[in-house]
Amino acid sequence: MSGEPTFESIFEDLLDSGEQLRPFLVVVESVLPEAALALQDAAGSLFFGGRPLSLSLAERERLVAGARMRPDFVSGRAEDGSCCYARLIPNLNAVLLFAFAGGKEDLLLLPGGSTLLANTLALALLRQEQEILVADKEQALKQIGILKQQHGKLIEDNYRQYRLNQEREKEYAKKLESEIARQTAELREANARLEEISRLKSDFLANMSHELRTPMNAIIGFTELLSETRLDSEQAEYTKTIAQSAASLLALINDILDLAKIESGKLELEHIPFDLGEVVQSICAMFRIPAREKGVAIDCAIGEGVPGRVLGDSVRLRQVLVNLVGNAVKFTDRGRIDILVEMEGGATARPLCRFSVRDTGIGIPADRREAIFDKFTQADGSTTRKYGGTGLGLAICLQLVSLMGGRLVVESEVGKGSTFSFLLPVEAAAAVPVESCAPPMGTAPHPARGGEILLVEDNVVNQRLATILIQREGYQVEVAGDGVEALACLQGRAYDLVLMDVQMPNMDGMTATRKIREIEANPELRQEYAGLRDRKRPQIVIGLTAHARKEDEKACYEAGMDGFLSKPIIKAKLLKLLAEMLP
Amino acid sequence: MPDANDLIKKFSELKTLPHVAIKVAQLSSDDNSTMQDFEEIIKLDPVLVTRLLRLVNSPYFGLVQKIESISKAVVFTGMKQLRNLVAVEALRNMFKGDDEEFSARKLWLHSATVAILAEMIAKRIFGQDGEDVFLAGIIHDIGLIVENQVAGEELRAACKAFRAGEGNLIDCERAMLGTDHAEVGYLLAKDWGLPPEVLSSIRSHHLSGQKKSLSSVGSILQLAEFMAAKMKYWPIPGPLEPLPADLARHVKNMMANYKIIIRDLPGEMAKAKELYEADAD
Repeated sequence: MSGEPTFESIFEDLLDSGEQLRPFLVVVESVLPEAALALQDAAGSLFFGGRPLSLSLAERERLVAGARMRPDFVSGRAEDGSCCYARLIPNLNAVLLFAFAGGKEDLLLLPGGSTLLANTLALALLRQEQEILVADKEQALKQIGILKQQHGKLIEDNYRQYRLNQEREKEYAKKLESEIARQTAELREANARLEEISRLKSDFLANMSHELRTPMNAIIGFTELLSETRLDSEQAEYTKTIAQSAASLLALINDILDLAKIESGKLELEHIPFDLGEVVQSICAMFRIPAREKGVAIDCAIGEGVPGRVLGDSVRLRQVLVNLVGNAVKFTDRGRIDILVEMEGGATARPLCRFSVRDTGIGIPADRREAIFDKFTQADGSTTRKYGGTGLGLAICLQLVSLMGGRLVVESEVGKGSTFSFLLPVEAAAAVPVESCAPPMGTAPHPARGGEILLVEDNVVNQRLATILIQREGYQVEVAGDGVEALACLQGRAYDLVLMDVQMPNMDGMTATRKIREIEANPELRQEYAGLRDRKRPQIVIGLTAHARKEDEKACYEAGMDGFLSKPIIKAKLLKLLAEMLP
Repeated sequence: MPDANDLIKKFSELKTLPHVAIKVAQLSSDDNSTMQDFEEIIKLDPVLVTRLLRLVNSPYFGLVQKIESISKAVVFTGMKQLRNLVAVEALRNMFKGDDEEFSARKLWLHSATVAILAEMIAKRIFGQDGEDVFLAGIIHDIGLIVENQVAGEELRAACKAFRAGEGNLIDCERAMLGTDHAEVGYLLAKDWGLPPEVLSSIRSHHLSGQKKSLSSVGSILQLAEFMAAKMKYWPIPGPLEPLPADLARHVKNMMANYKIIIRDLPGEMAKAKELYEADAD
């Protein structure tokens, strides 16, 4: 391609030369409004302005030829005698011819005339140039306008996208929320299911323990009876072993039952007044003999400010302390064991009491200090073999202490000893005058006075055991196999006391007791029962149950029973109760 | 004789259009698309990312800060410019090859010139944003590329007939191929989801008899095509179709304006070359 393309080269087909020349004539006319104008292009075509220019052909040809010769004005005469000028316009390749009407004088001959004409023409050319500049400026303005528009559009578009994104985010958040809600619900359900399973497991354990306790009852009872018969030394030794094994098995069963109760949330703490000092001292006394046998000193100290009587569950507190002290004795071969009770944290709104059991025993390695609180775990696998124990004690203690609102912790150094301690909130109870209603444990029951007892029990082994125990104390015993039989017995004769098993076929103990109370309350019915007819006081009924739970005890009283004994029957407890009920 | 759809079918078997280009074109005509959607697509093509960043950091945008993330770049270019950038990128690689009868390379130069001219006219004369006409310019002869790929011999025969003055190019194509590049290009572009006006301008860019509004994409494309052909940016030598009368009249009335456009074209082309084509090497 030769050179840059021009408008003319591109649109040549569109343009006759006049199309290019005419605009220039218009511009010149605007500069020289009185002049008569003509433009002659290279091909000789002539274009006229608004006023006619009368020029002879010869003169015109002379002027055009002259103007094409040199880049300056050439002057001549028009037909009307006025002076005529010619000049080549290079970018149009055309010669401009013009004359002023009546201008006879040749301006080129005047000083400055040539300059005047040149300036006039330059002005015209400038104006034409300006036309381009104006278009240029317009185009620039349009482009700026577009840029503005585009800018606005970008901003708008960004805003639109911002909104869209926001909506998407909202939607996403909503989805997320519902997803979380769904998962939470699922987890909750799973959790509930697990809790249910755990509860069922605990129930199962509780029931199993109950089933285990019934035969244990027989084993322990009969072993006790057996040991009191005439035995040679070998037999006595065997009997003792049976008694010990049975006792440790019962301890294990009790522990499992406790743990199951705690875990199934069925353990309810009591909130009744008791003597704190007495509990601690009795524990100390309880372990004095076994400790002394190992050559270990044991002592207890109750700090200043510890209230004498407090509100709480003495049974469970005792259980924890017995466990801890029992452990201390077990794992200490020399030195001493201290049971400490002291107030902590001064006189705050909620006074706290620290219970510590400190020993100088073998200690617990740091890496085992947490594991000892796990079920069935001891500090060392060999511990079980060496020291025995169920491995449940500390797990139960931990649970009980947290149930009472504290936390069981241990500090220990191997070879130096361990200290187990926990802080409990204590609530002082009003000091009440001591009632001697409950003689201290371990006191021998006084000798039996005799009496007739109806034993209602379905298990034959237990029937025999209880019968032997009771008869030995000088009471008379008659046995009924269930509630129906018991009522039949009462129809025939009177008894001083009814020992009523709770769980029995046909008619259970609760129903039978309720029946008895019904009959007592109904004078007509009462006539049919010889055993109830002539009584001045209601028939004494003592419940027997393998479930040692609080609600079982409560159910017994609600059914109208006067007392309650948990199985396996402990001889001492049975005798104590009989002595109380049949003075 | 094959028809346009057959050609396109064969073409797409032979050469798939870049997925990125189609996706971006579709996104840019979707009111619900966001810059994030564009970013997701564009980041798959490293060459495109480089070009996009170069574009947005060029003096044309005059940004003070250097843009280094795709999403920011997309924000500054806007969807349509981005679409055009992707189209240029996708198409350029198809316009390859050179021979006496048909030169794809020259066709690319032609398309680019038409696109730039069309954009200039749209902006400077009609005050439009020029993004759609630019795209129309870049794409309007894609039909020839398709024909060259799948029916090269027939196309060359058509070119020969055209040069020999046996009719306009469209008629020669129809005689040899059973269809023409305007129709083929139109159908192909339809698959890209381009705006309707762009589609119809591709279809009608050789139909001088059709009545179109002066400021329509079709008219601007036709005018730009005429000017580019006159500048010899035309790969198929042969008689030129005359400019439709209304367009000729328009040019005569706006002479000063068109002179400026022609004056400024080389500068704009250099700028476009820098924006769209400059390689790192």
